[in-house]
Amino acid sequence: MMMTQTFRRLATAGAAALLLGGCDLDLTNPNNPTEEAVITNVEGVYALAVGLQGQFAQSIEDYVLPSALVTDELGTRTRSLLSYQSLYTGQNFENTYNIVSSPYDNTYAVVKSANTLLAASAGVGLGANLQGGIRAVAKTFKAMALGMAAQSFEQLPVDIATGGATLRPRAEVLDTVIALLESARADIVSVPDAELTTLAQRVLPTGFTVPMLRNTIDAMIARYSLQRGRNQQAIDAATRVSATILPSLLFTAPTRNPIEAVAVGLQYLGATTNFVSAAEVGDRRPAYFVQTTVARVAGNPADSLSYNLKKYSTQNESFPLYFPDEMKLIRAEAQARLGNLPAARALINEVRTQSTSSLDEPVAGLPALTDAQLPNLDAVLRQIAYERRYELFLQGLRWDDVRRLPGQTAPTFTFLPLPAGECTNNPSAPC
Amino acid sequence: MHYRPGRRLVVVLLALAAFALPSRSQAQEGARYRISGMVLQSSGGAPLAGAQVLVRGTRAGALSAANGRYTIDAAIPAGRYVLQYSFIGRATAPREIVLGAQRDVTVEPVILAESAVELEELVVTAPGATSERRALGNAVASVSGEAINRAPATSSVGVALQGKITGALISVGNGQPGAPVTIRLRGNNSILGTAEPLIVVDGVIIDNTTDALIGLSTNATRGGAGMSSRLSDISPDDVDRIEVLKGASAAALYGSRAKNGVIQIFTKRGQNGSPRISWGTELEVNEAPNLLELNTAPTASFADVAIAAGSGVTRPDGTPLQVGDPVTRIDAQNLFYRTSTGVNTQLSVSGGAGSTTYFMSGAYRNDQGILRNSGAQRYNVRGKLTQQIGEKLELTGNGNFIKSHVDLLPEGEQGNGVLTSAVFTPTIFDPRFNESLGRYPYNPLLGTNPLNAIENFDAPEDVTRFIGNVDLTYRLLDNLRIRYLFGLDDYRQESRFYRPPFSESATFAGSVQNPIRLSTSKNHDLTGTLESRVSDRFRLTSLGGFRYTSQVTDVVRSGADVLSPGQTLVGGATQFASQSINEVRTESFFVQEQAALGERLFLTAGANYEASSAFGADERWQLFPRAGVSFVALESGDNTSSLSRVFSTLRLRAAYGETGGQPPSLYDRFANYINVGYAGRAGLIPSSIASNPGLKPERQREIEAGFEAGFLSDRAVVEFTYYNQRTTDLVLNVPLPASSGFTVQRQNVGEVVNNGVEAALNTINLTTDRFTWRSRLSLGSNKNKVTRLVATSDTLIVGYLNAVIEGQPVGVFYGGQYARTPEGGILYGDFTNAAFPGQTLKLPLRLRTGNVNGDPVNTGTFVNGIIGDPNPDFTASFSNTMTVGSNLDFNILFDGRFGNDVANFTRRITEFFGSDKAIEREINGDTIPLTYGRSPSGRINIYEEYIEDGSFIKLREVSATYRINQPWVRHLGASSMNITVAGRNLHTWTDYTGMDPELNLFSANTVAQGVDFANTPLARSFVFGVNFTF
Repeated sequence: MMMTQTFRRLATAGAAALLLGGCDLDLTNPNNPTEEAVITNVEGVYALAVGLQGQFAQSIEDYVLPSALVTDELGTRTRSLLSYQSLYTGQNFENTYNIVSSPYDNTYAVVKSANTLLAASAGVGLGANLQGGIRAVAKTFKAMALGMAAQSFEQLPVDIATGGATLRPRAEVLDTVIALLESARADIVSVPDAELTTLAQRVLPTGFTVPMLRNTIDAMIARYSLQRGRNQQAIDAATRVSATILPSLLFTAPTRNPIEAVAVGLQYLGATTNFVSAAEVGDRRPAYFVQTTVARVAGNPADSLSYNLKKYSTQNESFPLYFPDEMKLIRAEAQARLGNLPAARALINEVRTQSTSSLDEPVAGLPALTDAQLPNLDAVLRQIAYERRYELFLQGLRWDDVRRLPGQTAPTFTFLPLPAGECTNNPSAPC
Repeated sequence: MHYRPGRRLVVVLLALAAFALPSRSQAQEGARYRISGMVLQSSGGAPLAGAQVLVRGTRAGALSAANGRYTIDAAIPAGRYVLQYSFIGRATAPREIVLGAQRDVTVEPVILAESAVELEELVVTAPGATSERRALGNAVASVSGEAINRAPATSSVGVALQGKITGALISVGNGQPGAPVTIRLRGNNSILGTAEPLIVVDGVIIDNTTDALIGLSTNATRGGAGMSSRLSDISPDDVDRIEVLKGASAAALYGSRAKNGVIQIFTKRGQNGSPRISWGTELEVNEAPNLLELNTAPTASFADVAIAAGSGVTRPDGTPLQVGDPVTRIDAQNLFYRTSTGVNTQLSVSGGAGSTTYFMSGAYRNDQGILRNSGAQRYNVRGKLTQQIGEKLELTGNGNFIKSHVDLLPEGEQGNGVLTSAVFTPTIFDPRFNESLGRYPYNPLLGTNPLNAIENFDAPEDVTRFIGNVDLTYRLLDNLRIRYLFGLDDYRQESRFYRPPFSESATFAGSVQNPIRLSTSKNHDLTGTLESRVSDRFRLTSLGGFRYTSQVTDVVRSGADVLSPGQTLVGGATQFASQSINEVRTESFFVQEQAALGERLFLTAGANYEASSAFGADERWQLFPRAGVSFVALESGDNTSSLSRVFSTLRLRAAYGETGGQPPSLYDRFANYINVGYAGRAGLIPSSIASNPGLKPERQREIEAGFEAGFLSDRAVVEFTYYNQRTTDLVLNVPLPASSGFTVQRQNVGEVVNNGVEAALNTINLTTDRFTWRSRLSLGSNKNKVTRLVATSDTLIVGYLNAVIEGQPVGVFYGGQYARTPEGGILYGDFTNAAFPGQTLKLPLRLRTGNVNGDPVNTGTFVNGIIGDPNPDFTASFSNTMTVGSNLDFNILFDGRFGNDVANFTRRITEFFGSDKAIEREINGDTIPLTYGRSPSGRINIYEEYIEDGSFIKLREVSATYRINQPWVRHLGASSMNITVAGRNLHTWTDYTGMDPELNLFSANTVAQGVDFANTPLARSFVFGVNFTF
């Protein structure tokens, strides 16, 4: 009888322990932080801001390659993917290729991260200045992603939306990009650097200073204003950009420059023969980007030969977000389009005659051109196209240059088609 | 907690209702009766010892003694009862008795004749619940330990089950010593998740993951790629019996993890009596049954010339080898296979006295693989103790400690695989150690030198495991038992894959991977069983229970690249590490009511209300009901019914049940953030997989119906089952538009249907005093069909060709097809190749849009189609057991599969790269080219060419056991001695041209089945064993 009672007590205790103690079914994910753990605190917001920059940096190859392959920048090697070859040759192209979906998908992944960061930054008790700095980072990277996507696609959503967003014409996308950048500028324009030390220490990587962020914002306003045809806005912004700093995307180990990984690591790509042969005699810029003294490598199509890259040939090489000379060429083009040819000529010659630089940037070392050599708007624009080709190699801008400027070899495709996945899964996609 | 209290309350109330009825839960006190009788083998024949006699509906029973007599002495309430007699392989009709004023009841002698019917057996259908087979609406397959160990398959219990479960598809992916077994009980019910059944050992849910830590055959990232199976940790010698619940109608009470069925393993326990010592040892000899037929032509082909320079083969004058030159060939297979031996020794001591029984065993297995430098060792120690404490409490403790070590080698799709290398490399390459180079020559084409891999690679896997339970049964009342079981399965699995620097090529800097998996599974079961007689014709068995389970898997991976010579552990300049943890907990309440009406009609209804941590609070609690009906229309020995003119027994049954399945990933309901660092700072981004808090378990609804019919005095018995399984809410990746900010979301959208029949014919073909021959022929046919997929992506490809397509079976082969003439002939095109001047080559054309309708214009884009189906149309096995005299047993088991296609990727590669025997045809001037040198590469993508009929019949087991009953055995102190000679996989009858149609590169992968690609063949084994009982 004693035993019965003892057992009863034990059984009751055991059952109670089971029912109450061990039965918490609300497990968290031990492998990844979940949203609640990230967006609700300062550390989570810093991490989001860092992740956003890393995400954009890892996407840069997806933005640069289509532009380089459809124009005269890069050729394909025998090992390269079929999709790369079809962009290069203009044949057998399909909208199921990753080269189509990657720039598109990455853009909205960056937009998603930026939106999350913008929303989270408001409610975690950052000071007004730091919050402004973080908002500026979010808007800048969102704008850069959308701006890069606009190089490849004719229409795009300007933001994400549940179930798929409506697509807008490219001009409207560029307007959104510029508005985001102006808003980012407004967030920090009146905040002194000293008030943004936390941003520099916790959010921006070592090697990317607050002034670099400010300059990047202005440079991007200039870049996309020019593409949108807002010439005066482009001149104003470009003028604000310092010629002595070079903001870059960083690829410190263990990350790897994705352009290097594909072009050099996998040996998929090389610079076209034409990139070197079409340069003016004495132009020092091709040799900055390309190993002109090493024999060319056979490619596919079989008759193509391409040069090994020199820039982006090491794994941890950084990628300049813009070169300072782009600002001069933006001003030159905007001035020319506004009818001010003398100013344009002067700026072109500033770029051509540069022979040294304290920065890691291409220098032309060429003689200045005379007014007679650049007699009219068409000649000026053609010359700007030439200078841009050799200053801004693999910046992802060549595609819009050949669409915008006269006298260029037509690209194999005017734009990328909308990716198959978006066509199928977004009811508001027009395809 | 966020469960729905309403539903939970219903279940709790149901449970209370079942137990709290005052009239039922009172002790049913009765007077003491003595029921005695005698059991005979045949009319006027010898007495039968060891027959079990039970008073149905009570716990009163006895075993017949050597003289056939039995006496049941028990306190039973007065009334009408049925006495049930059971003995393996024999049967008789139950006898009705009346217990009244007379306390001593004598029953007429009963004859238990040879019978093919087994209805009285007790089987387990839920945690803590047993039921007589005759009362079940669903079929339960059971396999005895004796059948498991007849032809010893020491590598795995799974291997020993091949051909023994009607309708089940049990395959071994490759012949390496880890024995990667895959089991499909009633077709495939999954797409992204696992399709393997739940394994339960003595009530302990054990982990049976088939995922690889290191991909040594197929890549580890593909699911189910393991080269070893956790089922192989259990010692087959310890198995008392295995019971298989094939679908939801049987397994509903196992709940949300039982969608693929449940394999219940019961280990041996001690019997009261003096210590019984059993010692046995087996010697195995294994050999590769057949090798690939490689090119033996005396002259060089184009493919040989292409690799000649890389292999160091030139003309005698040092100039490059040319087509047609004489060459020396080496078949590398002869250098890496061997006839291997293995030994398996086990010792067990069991017995019991008074209120204690025990079983202890130890087993050691050492098996060399048929590949040189592969092998397996396993140590098993088990102890089981059952202690009766007082009248009411029984305590069982059971522990099994396992230590196993397997040495594996890469193969299959691994570029550094051993057989892979032989498949890819023309036979002029001599892989043997080259003295002048001071090393093994590098493979000239791709991959590694197979002999170097065998000698210098190291791929061991070590498992240390404990499986144990504590099982308490308390008889609260005579008819009310409370049982608590705690089960624990805890193991550590460490894999390693070491490749020395410069072992694969001059640029390969070496690599070591060292992942470790720590897994802990626990289950607590608390059940109550109440048996009550409502009247003489009506009894109820009620079951109520609570179960809590948890499983945690922690995988830590470390590795290093760029190794210095002699550095075999993780270290050095380039190191990497990662960790992942997966945990799932479930909690369930279950009830079941079984009613027996007149011992003829049995009704069962039950429900399991279960919650799993893998699901969000709103979807967590799920109800899995079951119901069954069984009607014994004709009892054995009953001659009064009109049915008895045709049948000797007849039982009809039907059942319905629902079970669930876990999602492929446990954390899909969360909005997860992914680590993306940037320039030395830690960062996070939202996952591109959208969270789905509404994810719920996959759900299977199964209905089955069948009968068992005995004929000719139960000398022949037909078992038949029809089932229909509809598995809905399968979790699939549903693509989302990128402009939503996500790319994919896991949703409950898929649906798969399995429809099938299982039939078996058990016969006693011959029985005399000196000779008995029994056989069992079983057939299974399953039709699998994907009835719903994600609307926007209607074809998922897994592995190479296996596809999931709406309206088709899971895993059909989908790929490039022949262009055909309107009459169906293959369309050939003419090609020239610069390497063969003046020759016009004929090449089959791959179907393009231009000739879909038999139009010979081969233009447009390629058209893929369904080109085969790896799922068999039906499976069959034929088992024979013969007993000669009283000392010799002879068994033979055939196991077959019919109508299954195999994708012969091995042949595809040997032909393309010029290592195949068929190249001799090409060397002899055949203008239908095979090798890559001659054929435009389009041909290799006509996958239809490599799909073959994989139907086979295997002579799976043959065994003869002789009991030596001589005085000298007793002089040794033994009470008996057995000698066994056996063989496994002795012969395969098939039209398949590869080594073995049973092989599968993707092992236990859910979708990718039936792909043969450079996998080690299953060994042909011969076993010689002796066993002493003391």
